[in-house]
Amino acid sequence: MDILIYGIINSFSLALMAIGFTLVYGISRLPNFAHGALYVVTGFLVWSLINLLKLNYLVSILLALVIMGLVGAAIYRFVLIRVRGMATSEIIATYALGLAILEFLRWGGFKGMTYTLPVFIEGSVTIGGIPVDLQRIIVIGIGIIVISFMWLFTHFSKTGLAFRGMAQDEHAAMMLGIDSDRMAVIAMAMGSILAGLSAIALLPLGNIVVEAGYNVLILSIAVCIVGGLGSWVGAIIASFMIGFLQIITVAYIESHFQMVVALLAIIVTLILKPSGLFGRQKELEERV
Amino acid sequence: MEKPKRRVGVFSLVLLLVGLPFLGHQANAASKPIVIGAPLATAFLYGWDAERAMKLAAEEINAKGGVTVGKEKRPLKIEAIDTRDLEPGVPVSDALLVVEKLILEKNADFIVGGPVRSEAALAAMDLLSKYKKVSILTTGALTPKYHQRIAEEYDKFKYCFRVSGEVGWMVTGEFLPALMHIKAKYGLNKLFIMVQDVAHARGGGDAVAKLASEKGWEIVGKEIYPTGTTDYSVGLLKAKRENAQVILIWMDMPESSILLKQWYDMKIPALPFGTIIAAAEQPGFWKATEGKGEYCMASVVNAGNAPSQATPWTMKFVDAYKKKYGLEPEGYGTSSSYMAVYVLKDAVERAGSLNSDAIVAALEKTDLMGVYGRIRFNPKNHQVIPSTDPKEGAVGTIFQWQAGKRVVVFPSTIAVGEIKLPPWMKK
Repeated sequence: MDILIYGIINSFSLALMAIGFTLVYGISRLPNFAHGALYVVTGFLVWSLINLLKLNYLVSILLALVIMGLVGAAIYRFVLIRVRGMATSEIIATYALGLAILEFLRWGGFKGMTYTLPVFIEGSVTIGGIPVDLQRIIVIGIGIIVISFMWLFTHFSKTGLAFRGMAQDEHAAMMLGIDSDRMAVIAMAMGSILAGLSAIALLPLGNIVVEAGYNVLILSIAVCIVGGLGSWVGAIIASFMIGFLQIITVAYIESHFQMVVALLAIIVTLILKPSGLFGRQKELEERV
Repeated sequence: MEKPKRRVGVFSLVLLLVGLPFLGHQANAASKPIVIGAPLATAFLYGWDAERAMKLAAEEINAKGGVTVGKEKRPLKIEAIDTRDLEPGVPVSDALLVVEKLILEKNADFIVGGPVRSEAALAAMDLLSKYKKVSILTTGALTPKYHQRIAEEYDKFKYCFRVSGEVGWMVTGEFLPALMHIKAKYGLNKLFIMVQDVAHARGGGDAVAKLASEKGWEIVGKEIYPTGTTDYSVGLLKAKRENAQVILIWMDMPESSILLKQWYDMKIPALPFGTIIAAAEQPGFWKATEGKGEYCMASVVNAGNAPSQATPWTMKFVDAYKKKYGLEPEGYGTSSSYMAVYVLKDAVERAGSLNSDAIVAALEKTDLMGVYGRIRFNPKNHQVIPSTDPKEGAVGTIFQWQAGKRVVVFPSTIAVGEIKLPPWMKK
């Protein structure tokens, strides 16, 4: 029972971390290596709004998400637009940006282990004899809401349908009048908001530290590679695979192998099916 | 008319440029500072608290006129550079470059503080030996290999001293007696070990497990977590299933606070004993965990890193630190870094010079009642002599979070409170 409950929680945590990364890549083929940094920035931003500006928690969250959206859009508009289409330069630019953000935070005094966000609801419940704190149940709730929203958005909204068009064939989408740069700006903004949302859901479970940025990036990449780069459905399924495998490893093998699971998943995927579970575009390229 | 004027102008300029260094030299000659180079991982607790403490000590000493070297009084100057050696992926060589930079570019007379990571501290010993630079290690590195190397190759490594704790004593002289105290007081005897997947934690966990089992403790489980782990639920449930009564934690990663939050939320009926638990050391831990860290025990290696009456100097230091930085001494590395500056001052004044060999001889004869007890170095391995009695040697500190305060509970000679069990453990 504990494997089932904590497996689901771990899977939704991974899905929340990775969905923003996969969205940006899926729409605009931009590997946003600053994703982990944006996650950490959101945490410190909310903390600062609550503790320095004394704003209400909910107001701080909403304000932080808006700011993150603007930051994401600005990253594309002022940095990535200049290297768009040059894969290596995109990776270098986003990784450098992520490093700069994280080191700037450290330089700015955000170091130590005492930066935390409050949990949404205090307390815990017992499910099938297993105690679970309410914040982790909220993580599942937020995960379901985000996944549902993404499905509805990409199937029923004009922008969402344009996203899918871009993801399927950018040039064809452009011929039909879809503005590629505009879509990329919106994708980066949404990706940053999703990174921020995952931070807001997950950081109350622990503390906000700069190093978390690197871990989030590694886990997001692992999920996206296994699921198939750019496929958010694949990312969700990969989250569940890695999430459960990690918990099973802790329960039946040894806890110190749990990080290896994610990295091993990358290697196995790249050897057996480099396109990942649902990386259709890449799969087509591989066949050709 | 123009040419002679220009000549005079050029001559004056040359004179000024040539003379400037001498003017500066004249101005500084009377009070040339003694430079203490501090290679520290300043982005981490064990680094920034050490830097703050050293600066506090230097300010206090300078306010009283400085250090007497022979017949002159000289001020102290702390030059700290970030070694980044506690950051994942940063090679040891980076810390060594910092040490070398402090010696060659900053002209450090002494090296005090780090490097903080054991591997880097051990590697720096050769560098210190090469430059014959007296060094006092004050934070981070707990490895017994440090003083063992000095004992084995005394002539080579005689310039290295350590004024903070080392893991051998901490396990046998502090952690085990504390566990035996818990056993005797509450009748607990089932131990579950949770350690970080790094060499010092794995080694420390194994050592405690071996020695504790010899003393009647039953080791009911052991979990090793990779750095950065954010979920400990399955391990905690294992501990609960195995009826663990004490969870021994050895982790220096920030995510260990998640472990304590989960322990509280899940109401695991076992006392958390953080032999090394960096997250719980800081005064801000209580607020950061919204009180969920209550009952967690934590070692801060040396007395003075949490308030106690170990010696008359302890609370003076705690109050001075609080006055300057607005919070109590923050954890491991604070009081030892502060004391290292005073130990050095004492040695320099007795030696009467900054000559390395004279300072080594003086440091070996150090006998000073400091913040955490009597400070003396073992003359063979240059490790500070530990004790559980502050009148005899350097004492450690294990505290427990109780009602928002870090209450020192071990050793009994300096304890200000008793170990308490969480209410969900009481039958």
